[in-house]
Parts: sequence; C-alpha cells; structure tokens
Amino acid sequence: MMSGRTIADMTAVEVRDAIERKEVSAREVAEAALARVEELDAHVHAFNQVCPDLALQAAARIDAMVAAGEALPPLAGVPAGIKDNMNLVGTRTTCSSRILQDYESVYTCTAVQRLLDAGALPVGKCNLDEFAFGSSTENSAFGPTRNPWDLERVPGGSSGGSAAAVAARMVAVSLGSDTGGSIRQPGALTGTVAVKPTYGRVSRYGLVAFASSLDQIGPFARTVEDAALVLQAIAGKDPLDATSVDEPVDDYRAALDAGVEGLRVGLVTDMLDIEGCAAEVREAVEGAARTLAALGAEVGEVALPMSRHGLSAYYIIGPAEASSNLARFDGIRYGHRVKDAEDVLDLYMRSRAEGFGPESIRRIMLGTYALSAGYYEAYYGQAQKTRTLIIREFAEAFERFDVLLTPTSPTVAFKLGEKASDPLAMYLSDVYTIPLNLAGLPGISVPVGLCPSTGLPIGAQIAARHFDEAAMFRAAAALERALALDMVPPLVRK
Amino acid sequence: MAKDRLAEVLERYEAVIGLEIHTELTSLRSKMFCGCPVAFGGEPNTRVCPVCLGMPGALPVPNEAAVEATVLAGLALECEIARFSQFHRKNYFYPDMPKNYQISQYDLPFCKNGHLDVEVGEGASAYVTRVGITRIHLEEDTGKMIHVGGAEGRIAGADYSLVDFNRAGTPLIELVTEPDIRTPEEARRFAQTLRTVFLALGISDCSMEEGSMRVDANVSIRPRGATEFGTKAEVKNMNSFKALHDALAYEIVRQADLLDSGGRVVQETRHWDAAAKRTSGLRSKEEAHDYRYFPEPDMVPFEFTDEWIASVKAKLPELPAARRERYAAELGLPKQDARLIADDVALSRFFEQAVSVAGADRAKPVANWVLGELSAHLNATGLAVEECGILPEMLAELVVLIEDGTISGKQGKDVFAEMAQTGERPGAVVERRGMRQVSDTDAIEAVARRVLDAHPDEVASYRGGKSGLIGWFVGQVMREMRGQANPAVVNDVLRALLDQQDR
Ligand SMILES: [Zn+2]
Repeated sequence: MMSGRTIADMTAVEVRDAIERKEVSAREVAEAALARVEELDAHVHAFNQVCPDLALQAAARIDAMVAAGEALPPLAGVPAGIKDNMNLVGTRTTCSSRILQDYESVYTCTAVQRLLDAGALPVGKCNLDEFAFGSSTENSAFGPTRNPWDLERVPGGSSGGSAAAVAARMVAVSLGSDTGGSIRQPGALTGTVAVKPTYGRVSRYGLVAFASSLDQIGPFARTVEDAALVLQAIAGKDPLDATSVDEPVDDYRAALDAGVEGLRVGLVTDMLDIEGCAAEVREAVEGAARTLAALGAEVGEVALPMSRHGLSAYYIIGPAEASSNLARFDGIRYGHRVKDAEDVLDLYMRSRAEGFGPESIRRIMLGTYALSAGYYEAYYGQAQKTRTLIIREFAEAFERFDVLLTPTSPTVAFKLGEKASDPLAMYLSDVYTIPLNLAGLPGISVPVGLCPSTGLPIGAQIAARHFDEAAMFRAAAALERALALDMVPPLVRK
Repeated sequence: MAKDRLAEVLERYEAVIGLEIHTELTSLRSKMFCGCPVAFGGEPNTRVCPVCLGMPGALPVPNEAAVEATVLAGLALECEIARFSQFHRKNYFYPDMPKNYQISQYDLPFCKNGHLDVEVGEGASAYVTRVGITRIHLEEDTGKMIHVGGAEGRIAGADYSLVDFNRAGTPLIELVTEPDIRTPEEARRFAQTLRTVFLALGISDCSMEEGSMRVDANVSIRPRGATEFGTKAEVKNMNSFKALHDALAYEIVRQADLLDSGGRVVQETRHWDAAAKRTSGLRSKEEAHDYRYFPEPDMVPFEFTDEWIASVKAKLPELPAARRERYAAELGLPKQDARLIADDVALSRFFEQAVSVAGADRAKPVANWVLGELSAHLNATGLAVEECGILPEMLAELVVLIEDGTISGKQGKDVFAEMAQTGERPGAVVERRGMRQVSDTDAIEAVARRVLDAHPDEVASYRGGKSGLIGWFVGQVMREMRGQANPAVVNDVLRALLDQQDR
C-alpha cells in the first residue's frame, strides 16, 4: 500500500482517490475494514452488529461504477460506522437497550441513506450508552466500549462506539448523535474529529429520539477534511423532518484552505476557570488559541457566564423530552414484552422495567417529574428561560467573534467505573458541550494535544454561528495543519 | 314520560351544558403527520407507516391542509385566529395510541372565542340562542381497539385486545363550547347546526354513526335563579343527535332526582347506553390524569400572518345561516323552507341551479318541489341528490310547465314520477303522453256550453244560490276534456257563462 500504511489507515479522501485511480477496489477496502474489526473489536467493542453483507454489496456497486468508468460519489468505498440508534434496513436498531435488543429496522434513517448514497460502505452499528444516555458508553446493555488509547478507559459517550471505531481505524468515518456532547466529547477522548452541526442542519428522521429539540446527527473522522465531506453528504432539508432547515449548505471543503487570517476567535475564559477542568486540558486549549493567533487569527477573550447554567437546564429539558420520546417503547407493537402479563398495565410496567437500564429509568423518572402538574413552571419553564438567556448570550458573543474556543471536555478519558457510580460527576463531562445544544449552534471537537501525564488525547471545541459550519471547519483545519499531531492510538500502532 | 319529567325538572332547575365535539377532517387526502390516506374502515392496519405506528425514529410533519381546515372552521365560527400557535404533547399510556402521547394543542389553540347562533324550536315558540365557542384546536386521532372476551367490551377484563391503527393519526379538530346551552334540544340543535357548517366548509363528512363526529357533553344543574354552577358530569358515547338529546335529558333528570332526594352529584364520566336508555358511571381510575403537556419539539411553532389568514378567509363558502337569510329575503321563501334547503349543501346547490333556470320569480314553487316530491324521492330511494338522475334543469322545466299552465299540478306529479323513473325530460314526457293542457278559452267555452245545456237543473240550482256547484261543473268539463283542460281557465269560463246568463 501507499507509504507503508494499510488500507484501514487511509482517510476517506485517500480511500476514494485510491479507488478512483484503481489502486484498490472497494471490495478490498471493505474486507480490510472487516478484518480490522475482526482483529480489534473483541478488545474495543465498538460495534453491536457488524454487517459484512451490506458492506460488501455496497462495495460491489462502487466497483461496478469504477468498471463502467462512471464518476464516483464523494465517499465512494469509504467504510463507515453507524451509531446503533439510527435505522438502517438490514440491521437491528437496538439503541444498546434490552428493550430493542431484537428490533429490526423497518426503514432507513435519512442521514444514513444520504451517507450510503454518497458511496460509503456500512460496516456495522456502533455501541452507545443506552438510548444515548451517558458520557462513557458504560450504560450499554451489551457491555461498554473501550478507548483504543487505553483499554482500561472509556471512549466517552454516548457515541463511544462510533468514536472508538474511527480511532481504532476499523472505519474511516462514522455517524454519531449529539444531544449534549455525545459526538464532541467522545471525539475529544479518542483523538478524533467530531462535529455537532447546527440544529436543523441534518435530518433527524430515523434517529431514535433522545431529546428532540437538542438531538443532531454528525460525523466522526480522523481528519477535518473527512468530517467536512461527511457533513456535506448528509446536510440539508429533509421533508420528513419538520425541524430540518431549508438553508443552503456551504462548500465545506472550500473552507478548509481559507486559513484563519482575520478570523475573530473568542477564547471563552470563564469556561477554562470552571472547577474540574484539568490543567493539561486548559493549557492545551490556550496553546491552540496561541497557534491560531500565530496563524493570523484575531484572538480575544470572552466570558459566557450564563452557559454555566446550561448543565442544569439540560438535565431538565433532556430528560423531559426523553421521558415522552421513550414512552413508545411499551411492548405493544415491538420490542421487549413480558410473556405473562396480567393486564395492560402490568404489561407496560414489567416490560419497561425489564427492558430499560438504570440510567434510562433515572432519566424517565427525572423527566416525568419535571413535566408533572405543579412542577412544570418551576422546572421545565425555568429551564426554557435559561435556554433563552444562553441563546442571547451566544448571540452577543458572536457579534464580536466568528468562532468561540473552549475545551471539549474538562478531562481526558477517565477509567471505566470511575464515574459510573456518580451520575453528577459524569454529567459534568458535558459542561462545555451542552450550551451549544441548548442554543442550537454548531461545534467541532478537534485534537489539540496529548496530555503530558497520561499521553491521552485532548480536544478543543470550536463553536460557530448558526449554519456557519464553514467557519468552524476553517479554524479546525488550520489548527490540524499547524499542530500536525500524531493521533494514532497505541492499540493500532502495535 | 321522559319528556314530561324533563319539562317538570326544567321548571325547577336550570341545566348548564357545554359540548366538546371531535370532528375528523375526513375530506383531507392524508393523515395529520404522515402521508397515509384518510378513510373509514378497511382491513386492519393497512393504512399505516412508521410515523403513524410510532416506530422508533419516525417524525411527524404537520399536514398544512389540516391546519388550514381548522382555521377555516374557526373563521366560519367567528373565532379569533392565533397569530402564534403550536402543538403540544399530551402524555398518557394507552395501546391505541402508538407513541403513548397524542400530538394535540394546549394553551395556544389555532382558534378561540367564537360563537354559533342556533335556531331552536318551530313556529311561534322558535328562538335563536348564541352559543360561545371557547376554542377549536387540531390534534391526531387514536387507533381503534377491539376487546375480546370480558363483560363490558372494555380493556379491563378482556381476554385479549386487538388494535387497528388505520385511524391513528387522522386529523381531528376538537371544538369546546362555553357552558351556554340550557336544554337537550339546544344541544341537539347546536350539534346539527355545527354539522351543517362543517359540511358547507367541506372539511368533514360529520358522520356520528361512523364516528367522524363525536359529541361529548358536560352537564350540571342548579336551582332556577342560582348563579353558581352545580357539579358536572361528563357524558360520552352518544352516536346520534337523538342519543345526544336523550342522554342529556336522562342525565338532567337523574341529577335532579339525586338532589331532590338529598344526595349530591359526583364529578365523573358517564357512558350513554342507547339500548338501555341510561347513563352509567365508569368505575375506572382514569379520572385523575396528569397529561404532562409540553411543547411538541418535533415541530416548529406556527406564525400566521394577517395575509395568510385573509387568504383562508377568502376561501370561506357561503354558510347556511347566510344562505337562509338570502333565500328568505331575496327569493321570498318561508323561513322553514329556507332553512331546510339552506342547511343541506347539496340540496341548496340543486335548488339554486333550478331557480337560475326557472327564474327567481318561480323560486317558491321550485322550493316546494325540492322539499316535496324530490325529497320524498330521495328518501324513498336512499340516493343522494347528485346521483338521483334528476337534474336541476329538469325540475326547473317541470315547474315552468306547471306555472305557465301547460300541465296541471296534478299532472306534474305524474310527470315527476315518470322523469324520476326514466330520466326523460318533463317536456318530452308531456308531449309523448299528450298531456299538454288546454288553456284555449274558446275550446273550453264550447265544451262548457255543452255541459250547461245538458244539465239545466243544476244550472238552475246554481243560479238559485248553490254556488258550491261550480266545482261539480268544473269536474264535468274536465271529464269531457279528459283532464287536459286548465282547471283555472275552466273555472273562469264557467263562472263567466253562469253569471252572465244570470243577468
Ligand atoms: Zn402513516
């Protein structure tokens, strides 16, 4: 292979170009990805289900196009992982929950379909915290995913499987979903590039809903360019999602070479001061700010005091919407159903009690309580007001800056079990990412260094204005190029 | 007996009634939030998709035609139309509801504060009462359940239950009235009048039997003169206008009996049993629901501009009330006739086409024929007016034939019967059967003279004061002319001859 690297190490752009130049076939790419899964996934557990048939069929279509001399789509032959809360016909969609353990998809998610239409090869469905409730992927009913950088550590979550699969080179790209940081935080913890688009940029149709007003599908990749290509493929209005927005999609690849000369970057200083933000993380992010300044960006400081309250608002709005979204899992039409129910109430209660894991039950309880008569105003109403204030605060910040820079996660990857018994500490993992979901803003996590004490990846989050993903790609690409980090995890290096 | 009891009770107590009416927008092509067709019945679970089955990840997209139909209904009922509105989720678990929440509206309905004027009673005791409309909102219907086994056809106690989701997601408007209704008859007339409005708007077939129009009632009573409301009961399961009336009458008497015997009314939901002619309480715990309403996050709120509302208003057809007015004022129809025709969209369309052919001055006889022979024909055959084979022009032609004296009214009935049977035009029937009526005065006078000459005794009696004999003479002339003489002309000619010779 090229420069001594294996096919599995190739980026999406490299894969497509190599196939176009007939240096490799799509079938070889699919087989290499499947072989890498076979080799590593017993250790990592990034996948709930591998779908070799679907991957090979998709590869055969690409190879037929190559043979026919047809123009190839932008992600032709690129092996992809799909978070197991997105429907894909021919696979189960389990949400890593016992309640959907055997649930076969009856239709395909719009974003997944667009990815496949762009030529990607679906390798499998990636593990997650059950129904995306978590920040470590430990809340999966089928066992945790491990971080390819250190198998004793978590990959973050909830899209931990999607992140780990990309970090471990099992796939070139993957799709995750981000409700409070579920793409960006695992991106940071696994040294991958991870994007949460503007709310409404990507269709949610076919994504099993966690919190409808916050959820957004986005890509993981090993380069900013690959991430931009995937977003380009999946973005745009979908008539099946009333919250998707009919706003033109910029040419993201064009933004990658624009440089940061004159780009106004706001370093969010009060976020760096938050207790619990590791010194190494803070230094790496400040280093990134200096790098951007050296590249010609106009770096300034900004404070976002309201965003601090995002966490509290999020843990009302998220569970409230989730408690309603998860009501459909009742054992009546599909999913786990107890065999010996005495009546319909018994059927509901025991099917759900058996089917849902503890974190799902916790969130359903929290949300049900927050929406209850007499509590609604104090909780949900108040949370929505906080949300409005956060939106306003960001709008003011974006009058002065084009992008905002914060850490993605306050710490590097933590050990399995370390926070599992302390939900509040776990919730704090998303303190930097949640405000963007509440405001509907786009954000990218890009690697900015390795922790000097642990050797683990550190990510910085770059946020941009609504539908201005191009600006955030522009800054991320400049950082990536300037820092030139080697982000190959030890598991893969071996 | 019930009627007398009700009248007696209503002398002492005042009933306070509010209605909650659910109407399926059956004329729409697709369901509320997906592309599945709207229809009644069919093989179970054949008109379903991931959205209306609540499959994981499926999302609702609002049907804009349903939103427009709701606003149209609001405009027809003089409601204020919200400038900002949204859907809410109403959360509760029931197997006929795929998502275990219903997408409905809460504090921001599309329409509120309207009213409908209802004519109650006939003749001298007729009056008009204005019923306030609190709100009209849009929501999705549930599926249907069939409970197999068990005593009550209810989920509790059933051996097993089946669910059909064909109806799930059908657009449904909920209309809530103010507690302005005072008698079962007013309630019935309100529901009937509302139905004529919705039919005129063309938004629903409003079939109480098929459940596309469902009326629930809140009813309480209070002593005459009292200002505080009594405790109300909610009465459900009335699937005809008669059932609505009878259930309310029963419930009012039941509550009065309770109060008279020193008891008190319990706030509860009661089920009307049409066969047993009584209401009974549902002994379930369904009462204290906390629906945990919150704004539907899968959709963006609606912001209606004045221009958009005006464009919907421009689509408002003439409503039955206005049509009634017009028929009475411009065409001179008696009030009762005007109402009977105007309330029926198809009948009034037929009537107006017939009048446009026959001429406005013949509107009254056209109305008589529409409400008489035509309606009787439709009732007898069970056909709709559009499909009965009699065109408005045909009826107009018939009326003209009678009015200009070509045939008699009695002959007209024969022609109508023939025309209804064969679809032949009335003019052709008259020609073929040689029915053309003789109005030629000379011809009639010749026969009349013959008749008078042949009956000198009767002539003498008439001239002696028995003027009632005129009818007998007319009959003789008509018989001579095999019924084809114009009776009015015959009458005039005979009188002229008899009175002339008298002088
Ligand atoms: Zn459907």
